[in-house]
Amino acid sequence: MYGRKGYQLLKDFASGEKGQLKPFNSKLFDETIEECDQNHHLMQSLMRKMQQEDLDVQNSRNADHYGALIHHLSLMRNKRCLMAYVYNRAEIVRDLAWRVGLELLDLPSEIQEKLTSLEKEYFKNHSVTLKSYMGKVGIELNVDMVPPKDPYIKVRILDDIDEGIVLSDKTTNFARHSMHFLKRTDAEPYIARGQMEELTD
Amino acid sequence: MASNSETRGSSADYETMMSASDVELLKRAWRNEKAAPEILQYEGALVERAKEQIELVEESVEDYVENGKDPLLVSLYQMDLDRTQFLLRSYLRVRLLKIEKFMFHNLKSEEAERRLSEQERVFATKCADDLAKHFEETVLLKLPENYQSVLKQSQISEVDDMVPQPHLDTFVVCRSNNFVSLNLYEEGESPETVEMERGDLYFIRYKIVKGAIESGQIDLI
Repeated sequence: MYGRKGYQLLKDFASGEKGQLKPFNSKLFDETIEECDQNHHLMQSLMRKMQQEDLDVQNSRNADHYGALIHHLSLMRNKRCLMAYVYNRAEIVRDLAWRVGLELLDLPSEIQEKLTSLEKEYFKNHSVTLKSYMGKVGIELNVDMVPPKDPYIKVRILDDIDEGIVLSDKTTNFARHSMHFLKRTDAEPYIARGQMEELTD
Repeated sequence: MASNSETRGSSADYETMMSASDVELLKRAWRNEKAAPEILQYEGALVERAKEQIELVEESVEDYVENGKDPLLVSLYQMDLDRTQFLLRSYLRVRLLKIEKFMFHNLKSEEAERRLSEQERVFATKCADDLAKHFEETVLLKLPENYQSVLKQSQISEVDDMVPQPHLDTFVVCRSNNFVSLNLYEEGESPETVEMERGDLYFIRYKIVKGAIESGQIDLI
């Protein structure tokens, strides 16, 4: 039955949690592309058959014409399914770039596993575009994602960040589980990566 | 309380703060942009002024910290500065997100293109190129020939039918600043009008109030 694989591909995408990626389903993807090829060949052979019978391909309406039409429509539907799959995943990739960071290596490894190499390429290209825009405008757009309530917040360190973190007013040694009173803009990238958590009480 | 950035270093402390009317304008532009489904006109002059004033206030805050001024005052100035910075950043961010969402549409429609700033236009073109390249490599090159276009479903389609467009029919909450009378339906159909008094709140389709927002008569909330 034509179109079933495209449908399954999209259902697979939709069954993941909203905003989260599942590993790229290359098996279904390739099968859908094969089906497209098949549709195309069958369509062309039907059109050739019509030409051999000296019928006007554009205008005559017989069984072969309708067969070719079905192949054409099925091909278009598969194309739409495939593009929708790729487009929605690309949307989530862009969303990751905003939320987590613009460096590919900053993404936690569980997420990196789920992306194909092409998607990683896209992520890199998109980060470059964003960075060049931010450079031209002269303002960093990654910080301040939430409206600020206080300029300073209390944070607790979750991972071992050690030394080497330079803040705008001091250098501190970040041992695990220690609590600090930091400027919001300094702490935000670490909070987004899950290395610190904000204490709100 | 409105002041000019040129009066820096003079008289009352509060005058070195950002001109209140500029902040109001920025807030209004930010609110409108957040609520509208499509991208609105870029307020270039406003953004430039805001950037300059933010820099000036940052410098004066640093001066205060070095001179050991009352830390409470300093942190108040700092908070106000943070808030304004957030407004500016969020305004630019919301616009970028809208560009990302409707990238092909923004490059195709002339009206939308006029509303972008120079840098945004460069961003949009590069973004669309990235995405088109990604599509081509993942899907399109593997498909048969007539079906390889990014924007059309197949060679046979007459229009670019694979371009998502912003939904101008979404409902928005708006408040009018003046007395406005608008046509509820397209021309030619029943000429029902809605009349808004100053300060009235309405929950209405975006398409209807679009023109009034551009001219500043209505604000989105």
